[in-house]
Amino acid sequence: MSRRATLLAPLAACALAATLTACGGSEELTVYSGRSEELVGPLLERFNAETGVDVAVRYGDTAELALLLAEEGEDTPADVFYSQSPGATGYLAGFDLLAGLEPDVLSQVDERFRNADGRWVGVTGRQRVLVYNTELMEEGDLPASVLDVNDAEYAGRVAVAPENGSFQDFVTALRQVEGDDVARSWLTGLAEADAPTYANNNAIVEAVSRGEIEMGLVNHYYNYRFLEENPDAPTRNHVFAGADLGSLVIDSTVSVTAGAADNADADALVAFLLSEESQRYFADETKEYPLAEGVEPTADVPPLDLGSAPGYQADDLGGGLTDTIDLIRDSGLGV
Amino acid sequence: MVSASDLLAPSRNRARRGRGGPRRAPGLAVAVLAIAACFAAPFAYLVVRTLGLGAPAIEALGNTGTLAPLARSVALGLAVAVAAAVLGVACGWLVARTDLPGARSWALLFALPLVIPSYIGAFTLQAAFATGGLVQTVLAPVAAVSLPRVGGFPAAFVVLTLLTYPYVFLPVVARLRQAPASLEESARLLGRGPWATFATVVLPQVRGAVLAGALLVFLYTISDFGAVHLLRYDSLTRVIYASRFDRPAWLVLSLQLGLLAVAVVAGERAATSRDRMAGGRVAPGGGALRLRLRARKVAALAFAAAVVVFALLAPLSVLAYWAARGIAAGGSGFGGVGELVEPLRNTALVGLAAAAAAALAVLPVAYHSVRHRGRLADAANALVVGGFALPGLTLALALVTLVRAAPALYQSLGVLVFAYVVHFGAQTLRTAQVGVAAMPPRVDDAARLLGASPLRRLTAVELPLLAPSVLAGAGLVLLSTMKELPATYLLAPTGFDTLATRAWGAMEQAYWAQASVFALALVAVSAVLTWVFVLRRSDALA
Repeated sequence: MSRRATLLAPLAACALAATLTACGGSEELTVYSGRSEELVGPLLERFNAETGVDVAVRYGDTAELALLLAEEGEDTPADVFYSQSPGATGYLAGFDLLAGLEPDVLSQVDERFRNADGRWVGVTGRQRVLVYNTELMEEGDLPASVLDVNDAEYAGRVAVAPENGSFQDFVTALRQVEGDDVARSWLTGLAEADAPTYANNNAIVEAVSRGEIEMGLVNHYYNYRFLEENPDAPTRNHVFAGADLGSLVIDSTVSVTAGAADNADADALVAFLLSEESQRYFADETKEYPLAEGVEPTADVPPLDLGSAPGYQADDLGGGLTDTIDLIRDSGLGV
Repeated sequence: MVSASDLLAPSRNRARRGRGGPRRAPGLAVAVLAIAACFAAPFAYLVVRTLGLGAPAIEALGNTGTLAPLARSVALGLAVAVAAAVLGVACGWLVARTDLPGARSWALLFALPLVIPSYIGAFTLQAAFATGGLVQTVLAPVAAVSLPRVGGFPAAFVVLTLLTYPYVFLPVVARLRQAPASLEESARLLGRGPWATFATVVLPQVRGAVLAGALLVFLYTISDFGAVHLLRYDSLTRVIYASRFDRPAWLVLSLQLGLLAVAVVAGERAATSRDRMAGGRVAPGGGALRLRLRARKVAALAFAAAVVVFALLAPLSVLAYWAARGIAAGGSGFGGVGELVEPLRNTALVGLAAAAAAALAVLPVAYHSVRHRGRLADAANALVVGGFALPGLTLALALVTLVRAAPALYQSLGVLVFAYVVHFGAQTLRTAQVGVAAMPPRVDDAARLLGASPLRRLTAVELPLLAPSVLAGAGLVLLSTMKELPATYLLAPTGFDTLATRAWGAMEQAYWAQASVFALALVAVSAVLTWVFVLRRSDALA
């Protein structure tokens, strides 16, 4: 027993010491990041080196961090929220928990990828694509539009991730552009064809690489990550041509919380994420599309023709999220 | 029904009226009340918020639309609990009651699958055994194996059984090490075969431990999200997850799961008397009878190896393969061993702190709930065990709201450890209850007659007898805490990374090698801590 007591004492002391240091008055900038340390960590270190601002980061799942911010309300410790999905950000904007961003920061990004009220701005674009196994499918045999995946030829062969935020953002865009009826029948068609479902983009690309399934709807950059670690993987992206909703671009977004509205460091970080240096980093490291004007994507990815991109407003993705989730669930796709 | 504990009660009451007055009862009851209040916090939050939503929310509690997913959760929970019980008892018996070569190493290997987060366990087992997976690829030159697509109930059942049977294994080993071998010897001497001895002597002795473990498996399974999410089984936790942006629905569904857990726990308690919980008394010093396996040694080793291959080696092999492949290709994102230091230290720190705190915090509840049957004991028991069935995200958000009022505590390590204790306290409670129930009252009576003070009796007599059960429970909390995700993400001090959070974060962005290195480090540090703080000590105590 005494041995356990001797074990416990230092632990309790550690916990106490850590608690006290955690509460000590700090000038540091607190970021809630829905994008992982592998992606964001090196960039925030550069920000610290260039500005001298200390940054504390809480990494986590975008949706969970959005729920945390909603629960914390106005007195959240977070100054900046970096989100993987405009849906989750829009959810927070609905609670009036986000501050307005500087106009000169907002103007760097095409208006389709920022909030009309200036509550958030897009940082990088992730394109929806069809990933396919080159050993099982010829490129010429792939569906021409995302709306064709329920045609007899493809029914039941294209995997989706109904619980994934990007898939849900896509469905919201589909509802917005084509209407709820088209979205509903598209989802019902998938369910009736018994389309394979997976937990997320990762699981789909992994299953395609194994040959378990032929095709799946995912975000473009996962396959590049796979190929970096396994150059032999027989997986390629297929971009639906023209103004097809299947090649929708979904942005990662950054916002300043309402409580940090006057925090110059928070604004500085937002500006830094849109600087050429950061945009170049994202383009080269994550193969995402830089959204700040004047920065070109890496040559590894097909050029993005924003001019013919589908006519939707990323701004509206947030508002419809819960309705979208209901629609997916009701379709029988099994969210 | 008159149980043995009822028959014993008068003599205990007589003893209590003897010298020293009522035995510890008032102080103990106050302590239990305070502890129960802590465990009640997340439930209180859910109930208050649901009531605040008004009549529609309360009606929605009985909404038949959610009954089908709830039924699927229960079906999976029951199936996994039964299978994990069988597997856990078999492994425990092999380790504690036979001359299986390398029993101590097997004991560690059998315990470790518990530390694999179910999401990573499911992903790696899928990558190993599904179409085009590692197994098929490795076997391809030898034989063309065609493997089915992995998913749904069968896959979730297999994966969760493999990851949760240690909930049964650890308490069973702790129990077997303390149970008197004399009965088994007598049975064998009287001509009973090993199977008959197992069925008539060993099983009744471990019944309490098996029930305790199986209940934990059931609760883990109905509250698990990682495995059912990845393996596409439409359980209630997936509906809860899908509704997380719809606050009223989310609250109601979470409460529904919590109420199910409390009902199951209450039912289990009503059905289990004190002696059935224990399954016989401990007999300190009784040397374990070890069955000579002889010719069956090969079969026993093959069985043990099969369990370890499927539950531990397969996931670890996939992780090692991913790590090696990514690092070789140079695109892994792995920043060197130095990156492991801080998450590793944090993981060990919170794991040990939560294990120690949980073991100490629930001990009064274990005493009280075994020795006194009353509303307080029943409520405390249900609340402590029920905390395990709340989804981690629900529990974390409830604590966020409750602790917001105290900014000095918010996002402190203290609150994080508190969350782990509330979430996982059930794991030490059930094992500690088995230990308390198995303690012969006459040992305590003898100490009292010899004039030992209550404190002295506790430290000199009772705690040493309880130690193996409490350690087994603390080991379960240790392993569960080290892999915990939602509470760690939301409640830890900002910037506090653990191996599990780093592994999950890397995996989410498809940094497979990086994720694998963190996950492998997690298993390695768990192995060391389980060995040093749980198995080695429990060997010494047995």
